[in-house]
Amino acid sequence: MKNTRAILAAALLTGLPVAAYSQGTTAPADAFLYIIWPPDGTTVKGAFWCRFGLRNMGVTQAGSNAVNSGHHHLLIDVNEPLDPNEPIPQDKTHLHFGAGQTEARIELPPGKHTLQLVLGDARHYPFNPPVISKKITITIK
Amino acid sequence: MSDADRTRGQIHSIRGGKDDPPPPEGPLRRLASILAADISGYSRLMELDEEGTYARVIRQRRELIEPTLAEHHGKLIKYTGDGFLAMFDSPVEAVRCAIVIQQSMVGRNTSLPREQWILYRIGVHLGDVIVEPSDVYGDGVNIAARLEGIASPGDVYVSGGVYEQIKNKLVCAYQSLGDRQVKNITDPVSVYRVLPDPAALSQARRKRWPVALLAVLLVSVIAILGGWYLLLLQKQIANQGPTLAGTPGSPAASSSAPQPLPTPAPMPVEKPKGSPSVSAPAQVPLEKPKESSSPTPATVGIAAQLIPEMVSIPGGTFAMGSEDDPSEKPTHRVTIKPFAISKFPITVREWNACVAAKSCTYVPTGKDDGPIANLSWADAQQFVEWLSKVTQKPVRLPTEAEWEYAARGGTRSKFWWGDQLQAAMANCKGCNEPYESSQPLKVGSFKPNPFGLYDMGGNIHQWVADCWHKNYQGAPSDGSAWVDNDCLSHVIRSGSWKNDPNYVRPSSRDHYDTSVRYPTHGLRIAQSL
Repeated sequence: MKNTRAILAAALLTGLPVAAYSQGTTAPADAFLYIIWPPDGTTVKGAFWCRFGLRNMGVTQAGSNAVNSGHHHLLIDVNEPLDPNEPIPQDKTHLHFGAGQTEARIELPPGKHTLQLVLGDARHYPFNPPVISKKITITIK
Repeated sequence: MSDADRTRGQIHSIRGGKDDPPPPEGPLRRLASILAADISGYSRLMELDEEGTYARVIRQRRELIEPTLAEHHGKLIKYTGDGFLAMFDSPVEAVRCAIVIQQSMVGRNTSLPREQWILYRIGVHLGDVIVEPSDVYGDGVNIAARLEGIASPGDVYVSGGVYEQIKNKLVCAYQSLGDRQVKNITDPVSVYRVLPDPAALSQARRKRWPVALLAVLLVSVIAILGGWYLLLLQKQIANQGPTLAGTPGSPAASSSAPQPLPTPAPMPVEKPKGSPSVSAPAQVPLEKPKESSSPTPATVGIAAQLIPEMVSIPGGTFAMGSEDDPSEKPTHRVTIKPFAISKFPITVREWNACVAAKSCTYVPTGKDDGPIANLSWADAQQFVEWLSKVTQKPVRLPTEAEWEYAARGGTRSKFWWGDQLQAAMANCKGCNEPYESSQPLKVGSFKPNPFGLYDMGGNIHQWVADCWHKNYQGAPSDGSAWVDNDCLSHVIRSGSWKNDPNYVRPSSRDHYDTSVRYPTHGLRIAQSL
């Protein structure tokens, strides 16, 4: 558990400048979001299944106000910090999984890419504190 | 995802009550289609009228269940408290039997008040089971029972194995519900909902109303709409709002019409200057009998004016797609039939008419003349279905090809105005200074394209009829919507005020989960001519 917290803290510090979060739904302090596969630093050939891991919280559909539950968003090559007071953007680099998906088939052009998960609440806002995974880097052959 | 509490290989009875071990001499195993059914809300029905419900259930068993099973060569294994378990050799027969039972129940229920309806939930699975003279056991039975458990009342859910066997043999529509983890079964089961009529698929996601109720509702809705519209029109005369500015005639003129209108009220079409291709869309003559109670000619006249301003788009052939993004390849030729498309995205005001009619479930916030936003595809579908019904015009979402053809306005360039980004042409992040990030601008804030259409690129995402396909490999070339049964994600077009200029391009395309709302997603409507 100590380990988990340390990783979470590290992820928060590197991934997101902590600002005022007025909109976000509260998340348990021990919520832990992570990418099960691919592991950080992997080289992948072609398309792959990205699998999303979440501990101490549940996955639900967007729009559902179930307590301590949210839905996944996968950020691909996103460098701008997330605005905690805005819904998570929707475009080709912010993929939404509002139907409650826990994995996705990802196809990226060859080269280095970063992947990061963010959990969104019923209205697609980040939680408070943000539930965000470590940003990993993979290489597509 | 936790892998805990999974028990595999253990053999359970259907209700999980008994855990009988198989006979010592080795059980008889066989492949069979298992049909599990139960009555939804049985204890509620029993509480309501114990003897009456029991008598009806017994009668249904005798008159409906047993003969239908026999007719489809099924074998009744047993009756459970509120349902039954049956076994078939053929999955086709099992599903046919399930459909017949469900449809017969609809007939039996219609004469009764809603709270007395007996609705079965049915699951069908094809699996290897252990057969004993008076029962069957095994995973296969459990899965059928789990499918039944997740089925909606009145529905038939089948597993992927059954679907594979029946998909080309039974003329039904099948809605994929994805893979479901079911209790005590290790591997997820792919689940399909069987819709007896292929046409029912498009309606599958909206609420289904009993016909009688709908008729009553429609009358009251139209009455409400009439009153609401008068109010709205008064407001509008004061505001000179842009969206219905072309509305001809006064409400007094149309509501005082004593007999059916000889010619329908003209559609509110405004001809923008310098746009030769714009003309009034064709009218569908209204042929309502004089004594018809619903809708009256006057209310239909008013309802017709609920149609937003439409612009006719001539047919033609164009190169759809681009080389700018993998999803837009390959560029391919598409021929479009003439159609009409709304001049602006649908506004909050226009949407609220549907909410007032209780036909759209999403209640929006935001300014009246702003685009309606935060819609799922299913929401957008509710709107076009409602508008079609009240106006008696076949209003629909545009197809993806129609949308791009309309957005290009006859041009081949990157943007409709040229290859370079220009200020004051579209609302996007990075298009203009100053930039308002919190909400979309009111519709029609920038220049129209050569077809006279506003906001075809930027300001608000627009749902179209097509299912998402990651590129155009295999896309239709006749301008029709590219749809398939297995459609959990639909195409969005136009980009929104939140996206960068790349999304403003007429060929840019993206997608989103069909059932999920997002704050930048709205719609515009179309109609075939």
